[in-house]
Parts: sequence; structure tokens; C-alpha cells
Amino acid sequence: MEKGLVFDIHRGTTHDGPGMRTTVFLKGCPLHCRWCQNPESMNPDRELEWDAKKCIGCMSCITHCQAKALSPGEDGIRINRKICRDCFTCADQCPSKAMSVVGRYWDTSDLVKEACKDSMFFDDFSGGVTVSGGEPVLQHKFLYEFLEALKMQGVDTALDTSGFGKRERYEKIYPYVDTFLYDIKFMDEKLHQEYTGVSNKIILDNLRFVADKIRKQKDTRLWIRTPLIPGATAVKENIEEIGWFIQKELADVIERWELCAFNNVCKEKYVKIGQDWEYGHCRLMEEKEVRELAAAAETYAKGNVVVSGLMGDAS
Amino acid sequence: MTKSKFKKSDRIQKLWERSTGLSKSGKRNVYVDNAEFLVYHWSGHSAGFSPATGELALSDDERINLGDHNCRVDVGTSFPYLDEMPSRVKGFEYSATNWARDYAFFLDHSPAEVYPNETIVGEFHWQLDEARNFVYPDEVVELGFDLRQMGAGGTSLAHTCPDLSIGLGKGWVGLLKDVTESKEKWQRYGNKKRSAYLEAQEQVVKAIIRYTMRHSDRAMELAKAENDPEQKARYQKIAANMEQLAKGAPESFEQAVQWIQLFQVVERINGHGNGYGRLDQLLIDFYKKDLGNGIITRELARDILAELYLKYGGNYFSFGGRDRDGRDATNEISWIGLEAYDMIGGYNHLGVMWHEDMDQEYYSYACDVVTRHGCGVPTLVNYDVMRDSELYSGYSEEDAWNVSYSGCQWYCAAGAEYSDHDLNSFVLPAPMQRAMKMAEEQNTETFEEFWDLYTREVERTAEAFTEFKNRVYKWQDRVWPEMVTTLCMKDTIQKGLDVTAIGGPHNAFTSVNVLGVPNVVDSLYAMKKIIFEEKKYTMAQLNDAIQNNWKDHEVMRQIMLNQEKFGNDQDGVDEMYVRVAENIHDTLEGQRNLKGFHFRASLFQYMGHTYAGPILGATPDGRFAEEPIAHGCNPMHGRNHEGITATAKSLLKVPFREYQGGSLQIELQPKFFDGKENKGAYIENFSKAYMKKGGIQINFNVIDLEKLKKAVDDIENPEYADIVVKVTGYSAHFVVMDHEFRKEFVNRVNYTSV
Repeated sequence: MEKGLVFDIHRGTTHDGPGMRTTVFLKGCPLHCRWCQNPESMNPDRELEWDAKKCIGCMSCITHCQAKALSPGEDGIRINRKICRDCFTCADQCPSKAMSVVGRYWDTSDLVKEACKDSMFFDDFSGGVTVSGGEPVLQHKFLYEFLEALKMQGVDTALDTSGFGKRERYEKIYPYVDTFLYDIKFMDEKLHQEYTGVSNKIILDNLRFVADKIRKQKDTRLWIRTPLIPGATAVKENIEEIGWFIQKELADVIERWELCAFNNVCKEKYVKIGQDWEYGHCRLMEEKEVRELAAAAETYAKGNVVVSGLMGDAS
Repeated sequence: MTKSKFKKSDRIQKLWERSTGLSKSGKRNVYVDNAEFLVYHWSGHSAGFSPATGELALSDDERINLGDHNCRVDVGTSFPYLDEMPSRVKGFEYSATNWARDYAFFLDHSPAEVYPNETIVGEFHWQLDEARNFVYPDEVVELGFDLRQMGAGGTSLAHTCPDLSIGLGKGWVGLLKDVTESKEKWQRYGNKKRSAYLEAQEQVVKAIIRYTMRHSDRAMELAKAENDPEQKARYQKIAANMEQLAKGAPESFEQAVQWIQLFQVVERINGHGNGYGRLDQLLIDFYKKDLGNGIITRELARDILAELYLKYGGNYFSFGGRDRDGRDATNEISWIGLEAYDMIGGYNHLGVMWHEDMDQEYYSYACDVVTRHGCGVPTLVNYDVMRDSELYSGYSEEDAWNVSYSGCQWYCAAGAEYSDHDLNSFVLPAPMQRAMKMAEEQNTETFEEFWDLYTREVERTAEAFTEFKNRVYKWQDRVWPEMVTTLCMKDTIQKGLDVTAIGGPHNAFTSVNVLGVPNVVDSLYAMKKIIFEEKKYTMAQLNDAIQNNWKDHEVMRQIMLNQEKFGNDQDGVDEMYVRVAENIHDTLEGQRNLKGFHFRASLFQYMGHTYAGPILGATPDGRFAEEPIAHGCNPMHGRNHEGITATAKSLLKVPFREYQGGSLQIELQPKFFDGKENKGAYIENFSKAYMKKGGIQINFNVIDLEKLKKAVDDIENPEYADIVVKVTGYSAHFVVMDHEFRKEFVNRVNYTSV
């Protein structure tokens, strides 16, 4: 049986698909979006993170590090990730959990059990389990087993995907997904390459494939999601191009187009895993801007546009 | 979006301004004598809440302000006829006769007031405990101090639910007739004690009738002097209504509501209030009759109920539930009663009693109201679990079906119990602390041995508790009988016994709020793991660290703090929760009061958690002495990492029907609802899922945390004046509460995002 590497599980979410859901985040992503909200999701392996707020300065992590990868620094514990052997003894020994491991391996059956802890809420909310990431399709064997096991138990499933993965993987997974939460970030291939590190060709091809399937079988929902990133995706032309694509190719199968306004609450996460983030100082979208983009989107996907995320004051 | 679906008329707007003005300017505050009252529910000073004026009143520096949780309107002076009180002039004694003489004099000297714009009248400025000392004899007080040393305490006062249908049906005159008939009966039987009690009761009812008639006279006087025809007509109507209530039973919807208001006044004036039952059941027949006669409309009824809420300043009424035959009891008054709240919003204490067969639309509306107004009103409770917990305890089916949400987290079978709710406190960390000392002395090696020590200490506190309560019960009906309440209880008048007397009410359990359950659970679990299983530290080291409030023991504190914590749906620690809860439940159930009823555990304590910290000191769950302890059976502040659903599931691991309440307190921020979801639907779905699995109560606050944080120290700022929060089971204006409460409230678990 496959083991899955999971970096987080959120219960009671209302933002990851229909109703109230439990979202399982699989680790590892082939895209490297510059605004990424889950930087700890990119690396397909377990990794250390260190939280300055929790650290009491007892230095037990340094004492226990056999690779000598840890040292005291001006702004806290420094991790030399090049020589770290990933034994994670430091995390085991940390009394305050300031040093901890991102990522835990799960058996399918254990993860199903964990993800269904809130099943008592799924019915009243018409909710279920969402698999997100990272890019969950990267762990396709585990993903397949997990989704299949959920469906065997009659749980509603949603897959939050970038669409970047081999076609056959989507073919295999398709029957076990009730809702696709499918990202379209840019229509322009070059911009897509520039901001995410990959072309959108495969992504759009896979989307057409999913749409075709839905057209024939009519048993799966499709929600398109577009992150609104100031200066990048949150540009009227981009929204219009996506809108045009949706109107032309997805109008008969799409149920919702979500515009998710940028937020910077993940800033801390970058600090914890010792990375810089070029969007750390990026401002929040103003409500007016978001409304304008939503209005533009509405002309292409009437009645299906939904806005979410944080918005700043006009000041 | 405007908050309210119904527009206030100019008249209601003016009444609203006066009522909220009184609250916001601190004229409706409830005080307690000291922090010990909040923690142990017994102050060792006065025998009830803190009298605002009079001999036993404490200064503002000493007493603690709970916020605007009163219907008494403070006028800043003490009772003008204090020195003429019969007990001062003719002598004080512990007896119903002596108490009733004071009560009658007190009511006769309480002004009958009628204000412009109102049609529902009745307001008071002093409580009887400001004019007659509410204290127990030394033999009771001494036991109280002993019990406090053991980690418990209690006050017996009010906190029940009379059945107002009795009074609405008979009126004061009818009640008086019953009293007199019963008196004559007991005279015939030669029972002097009971006939003396009923004779005193006659004095009480007669005073109430005079008080009612004085309102009629006052209104008539005002009518004569009034030039504005509309206002004149209102005064005349009041005069006619009050005259009818002085001479007979209420005949119209308006008179019935007026009767309820006046009952609340003449009852609450004795020191504290009660729940007043299922308003929709009490009023539906009056409403239907008036509709038939063409003298009322839905709008008019809504205004009258809004007036009732504004006049009393926060009512404990409930709506919904089931009828005697188990059918949905929701009726038109259930709707109008909520609509009236919807119209005025803000501070109140209404409850909606959900069950699976409830009118769906009505429950959706209730959830919509709680969301739109964001003040925790109505409280959402589970009718079936409340009724079943009454049946579990041994109430008859005839009494249990008429259960009503009555106060913070408690509920009563209307007219059928005096079960000492809300004011008995069992401070669970205390026996645990004693057990820890003993474990150190005895070198206890296994957790099971330690558990035995702990449960033995719990038992010792419970035994001391029983001794104290029994001493109180021996005296209660002589020290502070509750004679007005007694008039609307089942069979009490026929028996010639006060509701506080042994043998008076149908049911007289002792309900106990258990304080600090989550801290004890977290502490025991951490000790089990670290002290007994991993043996990282000895009990002596732990005791030492705690004694010093963890000074120089931060590593140990972090280790204890970072064990599994209650409220995250984790099996290990939640098994400890079940074990701790079952133990306190069984221990209390094993205690019997001299009224012949057992003790019942409530997994809730309304305010002690804020002040208990320094009194208890640090605890093995990694808590510092200065931190508050957990609120009711909600997870300790900041220890919920898995969200609301996980907390809900943790709580549900005990069967609430076996307990006497335990609310899930949820503070939601508007941001939580960010985006697409319909807020009301969210609350509806969540609460239904929770209650279907046996949850008993949810208090929802929808608050803007950033705003509240600013308001903590900026109470004069008018921007914050209108914020109302559901503090625990009761609501209050945020800035009116004591600073400690404000601080604690913003530090609670907040579900900021999902």
C-alpha cells in the first residue's frame, strides 16, 4: 500500500468546495508560483521548520543535532539545510514544539479515518473531504487509493488541482472525484511560465479533458478558481481572457468561478522554513478592485462568479 | 445591511433609547461581593449577590461588576425608608412571617412609576436585600468557610422557573383566594406552621395587589394632567389594565404581558430572578382570543413584546420545544417573540428550543436572527436533551415535558422544581491539587494509584458540600423564603410550604457547576504521560515548579503544555475527559440532600474561570497562575488547534442528558464567514449537526475581534457603547463589564479563519 505525505489537515473549512469540509493537503508541487500561500507544500519531502514565537531558547535542539546543522544566530536557531540529515531528532527533543517537522506519512486507511472525523457535519452541510496541496496529483498512486477509499465509504470528494499532471492520471482519478476545484491562473502561456515556472498547455488540455468527461457523464461538478494576485493575475485583461475561455469552452459544465483575493497571512510560513518571499510586502486588494474584476468576470460567466479572500481598506 | 427586519415605531424607538441608555450608563449592573463569589459562588459576606446599597453594600473598589444583568434601575441612593423597615423597628427574626412583613412594607414603599410612551409598566430601584439583611446564622457561615477550603461553595437563591400559567389563569385575586383557602384548611388540620406561612403569604399577595392598584392610580393621575391625546389615551389604558389586574385575572394579550412584567418585578425585587418559562405557550391563547375579537394585530403584539423586553432589560424566556404530546409546540407567538427581539436587537436572554420535528422555517429564522444581530440571542438549545435530562434525574413526564431554557446554561420544568441552579460551584482543580501533594508524600508510582487519590479527594469535597447545603436547606425557608415564586409553583400553596422549604416543590435536586474540567483533564493527562509513564519528572519536582508558578522551570512547563489537550477530538486526552466527567457526575449523584434528592453535575460555570487563576495558582497543564482557567467545558484558551468541529466532537463524548447542562461557546468573527457562505445557514447547519448528536446548548457570538480589543481599554468611546456580547449564558454590554471580564473575553478561543 502507498503512503501519502501530508503536510496539513484542516477541519471545518468552508472555502475548499461545497459545504463544510475537511481538507487534506498533500506535500510536493511541480509548480512554483511566486505568490504561493503554502510554501511548505512545495518540497516533496519532509522538512524542518522553526518558529521563533514558540522557541524558549533552551538549545536542546542544538545539543541533539548530530550533523551539527543547527547553530544559534542573532535571530534565533539557524538551520543549515545542506548538511541536515533529516533525522529530526531536534524536533523530537524540542519541549515547546518550536522546532518541528512539516510532513507526515499516512497509510490510506488511517488518513481516511482522520479525514472523516467530521463526518457528522458532512450531511447537514452537504460537505465532504477535499484533497489539496501542493499538487495532489504528484502523489497520484496514493491519491487514487485515498479517493477510492473515500468513495467506498460514500464520502463526497473534491480535488483541488493546478491541472499540471499526466493525462492518464486524471483519467484514472476522475471517477472518484465529485468536484474539481481547478485553477486557471493565466491564459497567457508566457506569463504562466514566468510566474509559476511551468507552461499552461498541459493544464488547459487536462481541463478540456475533464470538461468533456463532465459533458458526457454529468455527474461531476467543476469549479474554476483564479487567485487574484496584484500586478500578476489580478489584471483585467487576464480575467477577461480567462472569462472568454470559460464562456467558449466551459459554459455548459462550469458551476462556479471563484476569484480568490490575495492574502499575506502566510508570511510567517516563509520565515519558518527559512525562505524569502517576494510577496511578503504585497498589499491586499482593495474591495473596489476586486469588485471591478468580479464584474468583468460576470460578463463571461453570469451568475457563477464568487469572490473570496481578504480585502484591505481603501486607505 | 440593516440588522433588523422590522422597523421600530417612534414610540418603541424612544423606549429603546431609554432602556439601552439605562444599561449603557451602568444603571442596571449586577455586582458580586468578591472574586470568591465568582469562583466558589459564595462570598462569605452577604448570602446572595452583592446588595447595591444598604448595610451590606460594598464599595466600588471591593465589589465586582458583572455588567448590565439586572432589571433593577439604579437611582444612586439607598432605600429611603430603610430605618422604618418592620424588622428594624419591631425586631428581626428568621421566619416567613417576619420576612413577609418586611416584604409588604418594602413593596408598599416602592414607588409605582409610569413613564411616557410605555404601555407596559413596572420598574424598581431597590431590592429587598438592600433593606433587610440577607445573611445566614453563624452555624451555616462557618461551614461555608470550611467548604471553601475544600474547593467548593454555594448560594441558594432564585434560579428556578415558576409556571406563570398558574398566575395568568387566576390573577392575584385568584391566587389570594387559593392562599386563604389553604390557610383555613391547615388551620382546620391544626398545623400552625403551615397556616402561619400562608397567613404571611396573604400579606405578600395583598401588598402586590396594592402595588398593582397604585400603578392604576398613578396612570390615572397622569392621564388627567396630560394634554396630548395619544399619551392621555395610553395612560388611561394603563390605568384600566392595572385596575383589571388588581381586581381579577388578565383578559387580553396586553394585560397578560403586563401581568408577566409585574410578576417579574415583584418577584425579582426579593434579590434575584428566575427564568419565566415558555412565552409562546403562556401567551398563545390570549393572542388567539384577541385576534378573534379583532383587538390585536401581529404588529401590535410585536410591539407589546418588544416593550416587555425593554422594560425588564433582558428576559429569560424560551420558545419552541414540544407540547405535552411530543408534537412541535412552535406557534405564532414563537415567531412574534423573536420578531420583537429582531426589531430591538441587543441585550437579551431568549432561548430557542430546537428539536428534530421543529418548524424548519422557524429554526432558520432563529439562526438568521442570532447571526444578523451577533449578540448571542437567541441561545440555541436542544429541547429533547433538556427534557431527557429531567427524566433521567427522576422528574415525572407530566413535569418534564414543560421544560424551559431558564438561564445561562440551565433549564427547569416550569413550576415543578427548585433545583438550586447556577449558584453552586465545585472547583475541580482543588481536590486534584490535594491529591498531588499526597502523591508526593506517598511516592505514588502509577497513574491508577494517583487516580484513586484524586477520586477520593473529589469525594471528600462532595461530602463537605452536602453537609453545607443541608445546613443551608435547614434554614433557607426561614432566612429568605421566595414567597412570590411560590405562588406560581405546582402544589406549593396547597401544601402550605415555601418553594425553598423541604417538601415544597415537586423536585429539589442540588445542581452543581463544575469549574475547571478542561484544566483538570489536561493536567491529569499531562501528569499521566510525563510523570507516571515517561517519568521525566517526579511529582515532587512538579509540585515545586507549580508552587513557584513555573519560575525557572520553563522546559518542564513547555513539556506539560505540549501534551495532547482537550477540545481537539484526540482520543487520548478526550478519554480522560470522559473519565473525569463521569467521576464527578457519579460522585455528585451519590450525594443526597435532606430534601431527598441527589446532586447533579453541570459542566459549566459561568464566571469563575476569569478570577480563579490566582486563587488556584499554576496547574500541571502548563498554565500560569495569572492565566484564567477554561470557560465551562470549552477548551482552555488557545488550546484548540483543530477548529470548531473538533471542539464540538470532544464535548459530545459525554452524554449531556446525564448532566445538568454544558454549553458550547463559540465566538465567531465576521471574517470567519468571509466570502460566499450564508452566515445564518452556517449556524443552522452547524447547530443542527451538533444537537442531533446530543449537544445541549450553543452560544454563538459574532464579533469583530479587532474592535473588541480596542474597546477593552477605551470604554468611554461611543463607537463601542452598543457592543453586546454573550458573556457566558448571559449577555451584557461589553464596555459596562469589569475590566477582567473584558480582557478574558477577547482572549478566548476565536475561530478567526478556516
